[in-house]
Formats: sequence, structure tokens, C-alpha cells
Amino acid sequence: MDKKFTNVLISLVAVLALFAVVMFVLGAKEPTEGALFNFSVDQASVVSRFVFVVIGIAIAFGVYFATQANKAWEVGTREVVWMAIGAALYAVFSWLFNGTVFVVPSLSQVSLRPAIAIPMFFGFAFGPVVGFFTGAVGNMFGDALTGFGLSPQWSIGNGLIGFVSGMWMLFSDKKKSMDMVLYVSGALAVITALLFFMNRTQANMLFFDVDNGIFGDAQISLFAGIAILIGFALIFAVRYFFKNEDVATAVTWGMLGNIVGLLFASLSDMVINGFSLPAAIVGEFLPAAGPNLIFAAILVPMLVVAYAATRKQSGR
Amino acid sequence: MLVAWRYRIRENSFIQSFDPRAWVIFYVCCLVSTLSFWDVRFLLPFFVIAMFVLLTSGVKWHEIRRAFLFIVGFVFFFAILTFLTGRGGTEVYKQEHLIREFRASFSLLGWTPVLKITVERAFFAISQLVRVTSIAVMTILIPYSLNPAYYGITFKGLGLPDKFAYAMDLTMRFIPTFGRDFQLTMDAQRARGYELEKISGGLIAQVRKLGPIFVPVTIHAIIGSEDIIDAMDLRAFGVGPRTWLDVLTYQRRDRILIAVGVAILSASIVVGFMGYGKFWVPEALMGMF
Repeated sequence: MDKKFTNVLISLVAVLALFAVVMFVLGAKEPTEGALFNFSVDQASVVSRFVFVVIGIAIAFGVYFATQANKAWEVGTREVVWMAIGAALYAVFSWLFNGTVFVVPSLSQVSLRPAIAIPMFFGFAFGPVVGFFTGAVGNMFGDALTGFGLSPQWSIGNGLIGFVSGMWMLFSDKKKSMDMVLYVSGALAVITALLFFMNRTQANMLFFDVDNGIFGDAQISLFAGIAILIGFALIFAVRYFFKNEDVATAVTWGMLGNIVGLLFASLSDMVINGFSLPAAIVGEFLPAAGPNLIFAAILVPMLVVAYAATRKQSGR
Repeated sequence: MLVAWRYRIRENSFIQSFDPRAWVIFYVCCLVSTLSFWDVRFLLPFFVIAMFVLLTSGVKWHEIRRAFLFIVGFVFFFAILTFLTGRGGTEVYKQEHLIREFRASFSLLGWTPVLKITVERAFFAISQLVRVTSIAVMTILIPYSLNPAYYGITFKGLGLPDKFAYAMDLTMRFIPTFGRDFQLTMDAQRARGYELEKISGGLIAQVRKLGPIFVPVTIHAIIGSEDIIDAMDLRAFGVGPRTWLDVLTYQRRDRILIAVGVAILSASIVVGFMGYGKFWVPEALMGMF
């Protein structure tokens, strides 16, 4: 085994070990009111949750294994610092925009999560390893800061968002890869939206009913159900109507990352929480993935353009 | 500039006289033990430990006042809410002994507000107050007493490779820094007339208006990272196995603290398996109602 292969393998095993410690040791504690971090994990389903963490990491490792010669996998000093910055920014933004510190605008059951632009952007700009760490560790700290407790399979899902966003580096032909990503994402968006129209009475599992203080009691709204199509249309427009190729790459791959990562997390709830397919896709995936695509189409381009200007200025 | 959690070396601090690893192990043991009980008689010793740690921590009242009042207020609010509504407690008790019932003289859409004061609700509120306060007091002291320089060594101790241990260390250190940067950016934008709380317009316009907050904080963080990268490169980071500036070694008192923590945890687990420590209400009190 060469050194780079060993390093990546050790790194992934280390992430797994970190999740094991957090889930089985820290996660066994009950939510603590007023505590700085809340790492509680539902212990009744902790083993199946951990299995999905292993599957998520195995997916990342599989992609690495198939393309290990690529430079995108190098982890040096810069990547270490970017990982830390990305994860900390994602944690801070998740905490600040979760609705308790700042009331973020929401529309028809859809709460907006601007922080999701961070793993997408960091994955695109600094590669899949940085993207994965940013999404997974940032989401873990963000949840702990917010006091929601941990859902490790959702942290891995967020990691996959950053990971897939950086996968454009593995393809030599940027434009061809973008078209392929657009077709795959479009097909997945249409299929999941069709599922919504076939299950209109499904409850929105992510909608918090303030009056009754409970999640998942309200029927999913039309806007929440079709938000993924609106997001796809926006990204399609950015891809074909803007001249900037970097922006198009970032939003297109960010869209696929968002769909793959959140599909992974919501489908895992079929095993962990015993959800039906409509509950997982219509009740969880659509209300989360649709609005994220709207952010991918608007905030990610802003970050890409600002970062390009900074690089030009600094010469790095 | 890196902003740290509010740590500083304190004179005659009981917590800081121990190796941080020993203190963290003791803290986790106390935390898990406290969470395994609902019986206020079993919770009181942990409350005493928490108060002892607080009073000997060397943390000054003016440093901790804001966070402390917030947490205590939060705990009181939820304890009173539980007491008034009876929610939460129903998971640990099934039967209630009514002390007094207050019925409102008016109705709202056919619903008449009723406040039931029961023995179980009162004792559950007391148990919750003692339980959560003990944990909160111990937890709130961590950022004030744990040296940020030891974060990395801790993650290394968990078995992470150097690069990941350092990335985790930096992540924890950056969180308060970026929180501060966000506030500064927010203030600067407000001075220019930007009002996040009054974002209006359609969905796309609303999202677009988050840009003036989002973009400067992120790009500033990336620009600032160049200094850290340069500093790390100049010290040949990642070239060979990493050594840490501080070396932690256990003293006798650290081993004693760990042993006490493990003994408390073991005793709590045994007591819990024997069926003790569940929610408790004095029988004499129940007999009265």
C-alpha cells in the first residue's frame, strides 16, 4: 500500500472512530438543558445509525479507491486548515441560522438553511476530503451547539454533500461531467417530485408545529413538495445562462451532492426509524433538499465569485 | 485574531489543579451518574459536588454571571413549565395525588384552563431542577477552565491521526472566532443600514439578501487561513510525526480523581441495576392526599 492510500484509509477509520466515540459514549447521555454541547443520540437505534455511518464512509472510500491517483485526494497543511475553517463556519452558521438566534425567513413550511452553502462551496473549492470533513464534522458541532442532539447518519449525509461537490476534480472534461450530473440530478428530482404527487397526504416530518410543540404533524405543503423542481430549474438556469464555468460547476455538483447526501440520510431513516418510502422521501427528503437547491443556486455563486476575486488579488 | 473560549489560569482553582484528561474523565463519570437517577435523594450528592466545584473553580462571578443567569433562568423556566403542564413527568410516574386544583372562571372556545397541583408534579419539578442544575453547573465551567491548547492532545488521545487531531483542535478554536466575526460583520452591515431582521421580498430576494452577511464572513475566514497555513508550513507541519508543545503527565492526585470518578460511576450503575434511584415521592406525603 502506498503512503497516500494508507493516509486516506487511516483518516476514514479515524472519522469512523470519532463517530463511534461520539455515538456510543457521548451519545448515551440525555440532552442536557443549558449544556454547551448536546451530543445525545437515541440509543434504541444507535447500532443501525452507526451501520449507516459505516456505509456512508464506505461510499466515500469506494470513490477514493477507484480514483486514488488523482491529486484531489492530497491532504496537506492547507487542506487541514480549510477542513477546520469549513467545519467551524458550518457549525457557527448552522447555530446562528437555526431560528433560535436569528429568525430566518421561511415560506409555506419550508425553513431556509443558508448554512448548507458552506459544505457545497468548500467541497467545490478545496476538494472532496475538505468537503466531507466540513459537512460531517461541521454538522455534528452545529447540532451540538444548537442543542438538537446528534443524528450521525444526517451528519454523514451532510459530509456526502461536501464530498460530491468536490468530485468535479476527478473528471478531466468539466463540461461533459456537468451535463451528466445535470441529467442524473434532473431524473432524481422528477422521480421524487412524482412521489410527492402520489402521496399528497404525507406529513412533513421536518416541519415544527410551534402551536403544538411537535414535529411532523402537518401535511406537506405544495411548495415544500415541489421546491426541488424550483431549485433544479434555478440551477439549470445558472448552468446554461451564466458564462462563468466555475459557478456552473459549483452549483451543478453541489446539487448532486445535496440530492445524494440527503437521499442517503433520509433513506437510512427507513431502517433506523422504520419509515415508509413516502415518509422518507416526501416527508423528509423533499422539504430538506428542495430549499437547499435554492441556496445552491444563489449563495454558492456569490461565494465562488468572491473567492475567485480574492485569489486573483492575492495570487494564491 | 483567534478568539478563545473564556479560559485563563486561575489561582487556587480546584479544577485546574488536575490534569485536564483526569478532570474530563471525572466530569463524564459524574454526568452519566447524575443522568441515571431521578430520585432527589440520589441527586443531592451530585448537586453538592457541582456546587463544590463551582465555588472552588476560581471563576469570578462577573465572568460567569451572564451565562450562569441564562442557564439558571432556563432551568427554572422549564422546571416551572413542567410543573404547570405536567408534561415530561408522565414518562417517570403514572399516578398523581392531587393537592389542589385551580379552575379558571372563564372559558376560551369551550376550553377552561385548569391548574392541577399534585405531589408527583411538585417532586418531579424539584428533581428536574436539582438534576439539570448539577449538570449545567459542571458543564458551564469547562470553557472557563480547560486550556484550549489541550484540545488537540485530547483528540490525539482518542486515536485520531495528527492531521485530523489538529483539524479538530482548530475547528473547536475557530468556532468562537467566527462567532465573533459574524457579530462584527453584522454590526458593520447594520451601520450601513442593513437589517437582517427585516428581510423582505420574494423567496429569491430574501435568500440573496443573506449574501452581505454570509460572503464577508466566509471569505474573511479563508483569507485569514493563509497566515495559519504559512505558520504551520514554517514549522514543517505534516512532514513527520507531530510532537505537542505541552506534554500531559498524570500525577498521583489525577489518578485518585479518576478512581473516585470511576467508583462513583460504577456505584451508580450497580445501584441503578438494583432498581434504586428511580423517581421518588415520600410515601407519607402521598398518604396525605
